[in-house]
Parts: sequence; C-alpha cells; structure tokens
Amino acid sequence: MTHSGNRRTLISAALAASLSLSFANGALAKDTVKVGFIGPLTGGVSSIGLGGRNSAELAVALRNQDPDAKYEYELEVLDDECKPNVGVQVATKLAASRDVLGAVTHYCSSVAMGAVDIYHKFNLPVIVWGAVLPDITYGNDYTEVHRINGTMINQNEAAAKFMTDQGYKTWAIIHDTTDYGKGHNEYFSKYLTENGGEILGTFGVTSDQQDFTAELTKIKQMNPEVVYFGGLTPLAVRIRQQMDKLGIEAQFQGASGLKSESYFTGLSGDLAEGTVTFLEGAPAEKLPGGEYFMAEYEKEGYGESFEAYGPFSFAAMNLLMDAIEEVGADRKKVTEYLADVQEHASITGPVTFDEHGQNTVALITPYVAQDGEWVVWSDSAYADGTRTLTGK
Amino acid sequence: MQNKTIPDTRWMGLPHLAVGLIVIAAIALFGWQFLLADSEIAVLGMVALAAMAAFGVGKTGLNKSMSAAMRNHGRSMNIAILLALVCVIFLLGGEHFPLLMLTTTLLYMTVAFGLNAQFGLTGMVNFAGASFFGVGAYTAAVLTNHSALPPILILVAGGVFSALIGCLLIVPVVRTAGHYSAVVTIAFSVMFKTFLEVNDVLGGPQGLMVGPMKTFGWDFNSSPLLMGMELSFYVNYALLGAGLAALAFMFVQRLERSWIGLTLDSVRLDETASACFGLNVVRAKVLAFTFGNILIGIAGALYGMMISFIAPNSFSFSDSLLMVAIVLLGGLGSLWGTALAAVIVVLLPEKLQILQEYRFLLFSVVVILMLLFRPEGLMPRKVRSYFPNWRPEQ
Repeated sequence: MTHSGNRRTLISAALAASLSLSFANGALAKDTVKVGFIGPLTGGVSSIGLGGRNSAELAVALRNQDPDAKYEYELEVLDDECKPNVGVQVATKLAASRDVLGAVTHYCSSVAMGAVDIYHKFNLPVIVWGAVLPDITYGNDYTEVHRINGTMINQNEAAAKFMTDQGYKTWAIIHDTTDYGKGHNEYFSKYLTENGGEILGTFGVTSDQQDFTAELTKIKQMNPEVVYFGGLTPLAVRIRQQMDKLGIEAQFQGASGLKSESYFTGLSGDLAEGTVTFLEGAPAEKLPGGEYFMAEYEKEGYGESFEAYGPFSFAAMNLLMDAIEEVGADRKKVTEYLADVQEHASITGPVTFDEHGQNTVALITPYVAQDGEWVVWSDSAYADGTRTLTGK
Repeated sequence: MQNKTIPDTRWMGLPHLAVGLIVIAAIALFGWQFLLADSEIAVLGMVALAAMAAFGVGKTGLNKSMSAAMRNHGRSMNIAILLALVCVIFLLGGEHFPLLMLTTTLLYMTVAFGLNAQFGLTGMVNFAGASFFGVGAYTAAVLTNHSALPPILILVAGGVFSALIGCLLIVPVVRTAGHYSAVVTIAFSVMFKTFLEVNDVLGGPQGLMVGPMKTFGWDFNSSPLLMGMELSFYVNYALLGAGLAALAFMFVQRLERSWIGLTLDSVRLDETASACFGLNVVRAKVLAFTFGNILIGIAGALYGMMISFIAPNSFSFSDSLLMVAIVLLGGLGSLWGTALAAVIVVLLPEKLQILQEYRFLLFSVVVILMLLFRPEGLMPRKVRSYFPNWRPEQ
C-alpha cells in the first residue's frame, strides 16, 4: 500500500517537475549556468554558515525572478565543516566541475587558506564572503581570489583615519602577542603614521598577563592622548582598570576583539564609558541596502537568521552574477571582469577590488561604549556632541 | 582432515575463480560509476542497488563461492583486485574530484588497517588515530618546507615520527588496561590539537602549506600525459595511495597469519592467561601499537602532500572517532570489512552533500542501522583457519 502510494506521489512529483521545467523553458528559454556556495553548514559555526547559505540562495532566487537576467542560475551548495581538509575536498569538487562558473566561498580563514590554491589551479573565480585573515588575498597573487568583507587591515585603516579625524595626535599601543594582537599592532601603526598620528611607545603583553603596572607607568610618563589596545576583552578590562588606578587620563581605543558585552560586566562604574572600538561589517539595518535585504529575507521565510555575514554573502553572490550577466558564461572572462570591479553598487556599499582582489572600501563600523552597551558611533550621544571623548 | 568431503559451494555451476573475477569486475564497475555519480537520484539509487546486491549475495551463496575463490586462488584474486583498482583510477583519468575522494578513501583505509593491528588484533583502542595521522602530515609539511629530503623518504619519516611520538604514549598505554588506555589516547588526541593551535612554529590555528610529492624528477602535482591525453594530477596520488593501501593490507594480513598475530590474538582475549603461558604481553602491545602508528603516519604524510594545506582542525578528536568507526563498522580484525567500511565512511557523507546540513543525520542513521542489524560489523572476522579447507565439526 505504502509502496504504491509512494510511487504515485513520486510520479506526480516528476510530472510536476517536468511540467514546470518545460513551462520555464518555453516562457524564458534562458541558458542555465551554475554558481557555487561553500560555507560551514554543520559544526560549531554552522549558524553563520546557514545564514550565509540562505542569503546566497536568496540572491539567486531574486535574480531568477528578474525577467531581464540573461541566464537562469542554479546554486550548488557545499559544506566545508570549517575543516581545511573537507574544505579542500569540496573546493576541488566545485572547481573541477566545468559547468560551475564561479563561487562565493568560506567563512573560516584556515579553510580559505587551504582552498585558494585549488581555485587558482582550476581557474575558478571566487569571492570570499566571511573569512578575515589578510593572507587569503594578500598572501598570494591569485587573480581568481577576491574578498568582499574587510580584514584587520581595513579595520585598522578605518580606525586610524577615524581617530585622527577626531583630532587625536599621540598614541601608546599595547597589543597581545598572539597572531591577532601582532597583526593589529602592525596594521594600526602603519596606517596611524600615514594619517599623521604619532606613536610614543609600543608594548607587547602575553595574552594571560594580570599586572600591567610596568607598561602603564611608562605610558603615564609619555602622556599620550590615546591608549590603543590590540587584543581581546579580558585583557582590555584589566588594562582599563589599571589605567584608572594609575590616573592615566587618555582615551581608550580597542580593536574588534574588544566588542563584547563582557567588557561592561568586567568594569565597575563608568570606566567603560566612552571606549571606542571598530568592527568589520555593520548591523544589517545600517547597510545601504539593508532594509531591502532584510525585507526580502523575511519574505522567503528562512528558518535561520542571516547572522553577521549574510549580507556579505548576498552581495558577493550578486556581484558574481552581475559579472556573468556582463561577460557571459566563461570563467576566464568572469575573472577578468572581477579584476576591474570599481565602485560596484551592492547592499554593503560600493565594492572596489584592489590588485589582490581585496575590497578596499570594505565596510568598517565604529562603536562607542555608552551607558553600558556598544552603540554605533553615528547613533551615539558622542557623534551629536552631547557627550565628548576623553581629552576633547 | 584433508580428505573430508567439502559441500559444493560453487555458484551457478561456475568455477570459484571465474566467480571471483566476475565479482571483482562488477565491484570495480560499480565503484567507477559511484564515484562519478552526481545527482541525488543516481547516488541514492546506487546505494539502494548496493544494499540489494549485498542482500542477494548472502541469499544465493555467492559469498561462499567468493571466499572459496579467495582461499584457493588468493594470489590471482589479489592481483585481479589491484588491477581492477588501477583500471578504475585510469578510467577516472581526468576527473579530479572523484580521484581525490578515491585517494582519500585509500589513505583512510591504510589508517584503518593500522588501527586494526592495534584494536582488532591486540585489543588496544586507539582514539588518537587522527593525531598520529596529523603527526605524519605535519612531518611532511615541515620536511618539505625546510629540508631537501626526497619526498619518498619524507613518507617514511612521517611513519617514523608517528611511531616515535607514539613511544611517548607507550608507557601509560601499556600500564593501563581496557577503557583506561582508551582514555589515555583520548587525552593525547585533545592535547595534540591544542598543542598545534598554540604553536606558532607549526602555523598555529591557521595551519601551514605542505610541499608536493616528487620522486625521481616526477612532480606529483603536474598532470601526467597518457597517449596524448592529459590526466588529473590526482592520478599520481591515487596510484601511490593504492600501492600504500595494498602494502598495508599485505603487511597486516601477514602479521595476522604469523605467530606474532597468534600472540596478539591471545593477548586480546586474555592478558593474564597469555602471560601465564609465557607470552610477553608488553612486547606484543608495544609492537602492535608502534606498527599501527607507522602505517597511520605514512598515510598522514601522503595525505598532507596531496591536499597541500593542513591545519589543526583537520586532526580533531572527531576525526579519530571516525577512524575508530571504520574499524568497528567493518568488523574487528576483518581486513576486507575494514576496506568496505572505509569506503562507506569516507564516501557516503561526501556523496550526501546534496542533503546539505542534514547529511550527517542520514549518515548517522545508516551507521545506527548497520550496528543494529550487523553488530559484529559488516564482514565479521572469521575464526582463524589453521589448515586450508578445514572446518570444525558442526
């Protein structure tokens, strides 16, 4: 009984599929091309991966509804599990199948690092939608690899520019000695000097250090206007407390690793107040096309939220399809097109790739600590002048 | 005993060897098509076909004829299997992805053979398989980047380092028994990954590049030409992987059949009794543990060279569990079962990519079903046959 029932539904499903297919072909007669998406769909960071997957799917679905689109797009989704070995496998799978024209790939940096060689070997143009390690684009000369989201380089460039624009001139830098802290120190120092800021001293600290009296006493003598810290929240809490104990009257500035709610629970009184920090991306509602994206995402009724990087995945997929629309179904031509992307409109703002395929105008949002929470700078009482940063 | 009449196990009146060769050809054909299968219908259809075939084999007595062929014509059958594997590799020729998957399967098979020597024969559960695999891969990474050692020796070095690091574990593993020694290896597995993550020299959490395999001026990462046709560079790795898996199979099989294997078996069954009969239990354990780690390390080194980028995430505890799962699924101590289980465990999740985030759910269901209906493993190990064709009285 159940067997025949199953068969009947199967047949009717097949019938419906073939009918709709023939209808689609008759009505539109478009060529179908394939694009790919790779992200972590299972494992610890799967929520971000699923959000990115849904966003990419949304981009494809919207494009297929567009009567002006030249092609019918088919999305091939693969799971990299946030593991480099699996990432290499699925990257090979995607890159080696000839009818895939391009892909939006990877949230995890180590996976992306392993996979870029494959994309280069098989000439598959890809746009990274979430991995932040600078080396993914800057560690090689692969013309196939692009990235739409910012890196710690962009973050520090924006941070240095923002702070010098506020009128600060002298800095003391503290960073932890992990890859993260060292990278932040390197890029922040570079862009700060370019923007005319002066670094009075740089201090490396281990990531589990408790007492910063030695470093901070020296900093007190230097009397900088800003203390920059490249590291994570627990250390930042201790440094901020001990700055207060030693009476250092300087503006405290952090990096993306500081933006966590635990900064407020760790600090008593109003010590947290006025701390500024920077983060790649922006809350979706702050994005140029955020309203549109959120409305469409809502309409599709996905079970998962789009998370922090969904908009980037959406924008990357759209950029890829724009490229295919423009130059046709040819990997090499798509790669050439992506090399010259300048001020390309997207929901995350205009996209411009540099010679390494990195988006140079990647969106960085400044945040300020106000009344026990992180507030986007432009919405804060500091931006409209009702409150002022230390020393201003 | 030799003269005892054996019931006729011939299948459809065909001689055993012919049956064996037909089955090998059929499996090779199936494997070739399965590796190429892309659409959900094709993959699910082929899985169903395989399940039906497996059922049919038991019903028609084909398995008896097969084992007779393996027993009586061992050499011809083994050569035929190897030839069939090489044929499949060349048939896949230019298809990069199926070749990558095939090679991964072969390397995992090698690992599982190593684990079998430890777990299946000697009864030492090693939950750090992925760690020793990682030791091999990291050895390959460091040596290809910082030394001029010929890569073929690097493969050996991967095995040696893996064995050396295994020596660190030998004292706690041999001193503890059963579950406790399993816990020691779990601890090692977790520590190994943490160690890699905090170690800047070895690339930290972001991992590091591994140089390619090169032998006698033959660069494994360039595509070989065959009769004017360009093949995938993975053909090189697939051939080497096949060689490695075959060698590992042969070693473990010879080990099992030897007096050493008999010792290992008795150590597994009862340590106290073995010691009473004068067997050196510690020596047997050290031997099996080290031998297994060498195989795992060599496979890891080649794997590292093939995927050319490794990071601590690839060698986590869950990967170790997967390796142990291969051994359990295949049947403890059963080499053919292990080979089959490696194919299932490595290929099935990959082929189920079409189900996206639900694939592990289905995969787990398959594993649970198998354990429910075949708790002994897919192809349980047979009672040791001391004399050819001899069977105990019914």
